[in-house]
Amino acid sequence: MTQAEIKLCSLLLQEHFGEIVDKIGTHLIRTGSQPLRAIVHGTGTSLDQVKKALCVLIQHNLVTYQIHKRGIVEYEAHCSRILRILRYPRYIYTAKTLYSDTGELIVEELLLNGKMTMSAVVKKVADRLTETMEDGKTMDYAEVSSTFCRLADTHFVQRCPLVPDPPESAEAQPPPPAPTLSINEKDMYLVPKLNLIGKGKRRRSSDDDAAGEPRPKRPKQTAESKEPMPDDGIYWQANLDRFHQHFRDQSIVNAVANRMDQTSSEIVRTMLRMSEITTSSGAPFTQPLSSNEIFRSLPVGYNISKQVLDQYLTLLADDPLEFVGKSGDSGGGMYVINLHKALASLAMATLESIVQERFGSRCARIFRLVLRKKHLEQKQVEDFAMIPAKEAKDMLYKLLSENLISLQEIPKTPDHAPSRTFYLYTVNSLSAARMLLRRCYKSIANLIERRQFETRENKRLLEKSQRVEAILASMQATGAEEAQLQEIEEMITAPERQQLESLKRNVNKLDASEIQVDETIFVLESYAESTMKRS
Amino acid sequence: MAGNKGRGRASFTFNIEAIGFARGEKLPDVVLKPPPLYPDTDYKPVPLKADEAEEYMLALKQEFRATMKRTPYFMDTEEEKQEIERYSKRYLKSYKDDDLEWVPDWRRLPREMMPRKKLTKGPKRQRTKGTAKVPATLMSTVDVLKKIEDLEKKGDEEKSDEETDEKEGGKGKRKDDDDEEDEAADEQEEYDEEEQEEENDYINSYFEDGDDFGAESDDNMDEATY
Repeated sequence: MTQAEIKLCSLLLQEHFGEIVDKIGTHLIRTGSQPLRAIVHGTGTSLDQVKKALCVLIQHNLVTYQIHKRGIVEYEAHCSRILRILRYPRYIYTAKTLYSDTGELIVEELLLNGKMTMSAVVKKVADRLTETMEDGKTMDYAEVSSTFCRLADTHFVQRCPLVPDPPESAEAQPPPPAPTLSINEKDMYLVPKLNLIGKGKRRRSSDDDAAGEPRPKRPKQTAESKEPMPDDGIYWQANLDRFHQHFRDQSIVNAVANRMDQTSSEIVRTMLRMSEITTSSGAPFTQPLSSNEIFRSLPVGYNISKQVLDQYLTLLADDPLEFVGKSGDSGGGMYVINLHKALASLAMATLESIVQERFGSRCARIFRLVLRKKHLEQKQVEDFAMIPAKEAKDMLYKLLSENLISLQEIPKTPDHAPSRTFYLYTVNSLSAARMLLRRCYKSIANLIERRQFETRENKRLLEKSQRVEAILASMQATGAEEAQLQEIEEMITAPERQQLESLKRNVNKLDASEIQVDETIFVLESYAESTMKRS
Repeated sequence: MAGNKGRGRASFTFNIEAIGFARGEKLPDVVLKPPPLYPDTDYKPVPLKADEAEEYMLALKQEFRATMKRTPYFMDTEEEKQEIERYSKRYLKSYKDDDLEWVPDWRRLPREMMPRKKLTKGPKRQRTKGTAKVPATLMSTVDVLKKIEDLEKKGDEEKSDEETDEKEGGKGKRKDDDDEEDEAADEQEEYDEEEQEEENDYINSYFEDGDDFGAESDDNMDEATY
């Protein structure tokens, strides 16, 4: 774990879970797998707080535990999973585009709570949807359940590993210090048969329903304390890998659309959709698909003839981008999508764009040249790029100092004499991608720090505006005159209002930047992962 | 050797033209300090994307953050009690959903995660019962010291021990009742004791405290006063 990653994880944990969880999570990332006592000792927090923090982290799938010899349980934090917190808005938005509001809320609740049972999710989502509907209408549980089933069928949500059933001879051996959770591959998307009948409930002050109202004494926990629901113990979580697969497919389709035209992108989209469930997410190629199958699976609106489809496929296969490859001739031609190549091209395009924006278009030209030609001498670079020697030299050294280009020595003689050695410039794509990835993490950490700084600086002003809003709300509830409301509003002076406006603008800009840097992170990370899996 | 141009004259071991400098040309300066913290950029960054999707995701992000703060998962450090209660605090309502106090599913977590129910009379009594069960492997110098302490106090606590034992027996049956559990509890209790030990240099019983000291941990216990 690089320093940049650790810093970013720490900031994310602090923002979403508070300082204590942050301290413990960061300690675990830094030191690796640790037992409970070591964590207490290392962080200096009390045992109770460590326990509570670990419970929260385990609930959200950020920390897992393992039983080691002698019955010691060790806890390990997953840095990469913590970094996914940045991508939560994107997951929720994707669910919205695919399954509309119901799907959006289901995924949001699952991400908010880490893991939940199906009945709990359905109930909560129905309640939330009912609140947004007009008076008198309520959301039926059945509709929410059906959306949940669809999400499970397309693998966007999956079951968490289950606690094993206790063996009959429970008295003979003492139970282990921690349950060994396991799940069968086939059962991962199996929806339990629940008979959820009901409608969402609205929060109303006159309602006697304990679920929707904060009372002075703590009300009973919803259904769980009355009787265990039939799906007790079966927890669901959001399947982030599937979402990543979806993002990857989307970016490939967009790339094809930009390069060629709409129809070819639709063909590629169809091919990807057909291989969704059959191909694992890490595979370099999809399963081969015959041209006949593709023709049958094209969306209904597209009535292109078989020959046109074949022509498009041939065009795609011959394209220098090599997204689509031809793997055989049976069934009218077998075609695969070259996932690894696609990811590599996307990552390289990102790299080139970064070089262009940072160093100018001439540097970008040199970079693209060295990328394509793999190894070039100084003189050759000048000739191919058609840039004067002095400038070319300058730019090459600038790129070299940024570690985007590296030097490869090829000796002519066994004594490696410098005067008799070739020095070639080359781009090591994987290491350049990793370096930029690290830089992205650092930029997001900077963005978060800056946002927190801005909020801290204007804390007093923010509190004042909150107070004024609260006063306004309470006065409006009790019915007040326009003049009084006006007076309260004027408690915030005009320059203060401006300050608040500019603060809001800055915070929004910083937040939006975080989301967009995360897109670059996704592309570079997928490329790095795909390359590592291949080698 | 002939052609010994190295003496007193700087020269490179390789052909300088191979990396593009002409002979005799001024080489670039050596960099002697780390790069500046905020370097100037020649090219300004491209503006952010501002389409609907991005705006919606921005709103989602901010809402998510705000909602997380209200969940029971968010563990804030407790602020120190302020001497003067500020008027402004009244209007900054905390929106913590208190009725959603979260209880994790204990079956899925390691057993050491469960909070131990501490007896009101303090940890020392439990240990007297527990230390007897500690197997040899877990004994350490700390345990030995504690045993010595316990033996000193045993005289005073004989009676109250019986009460504690009954209570402990009852409580033990409620949870999963086996050795490991007790050991774990003992370890934890011992650890707390150790922590307490380290805070003050003197063993509690060796000097007489004021009436208020130690009120939190040992409520009704009669301190062995000298």
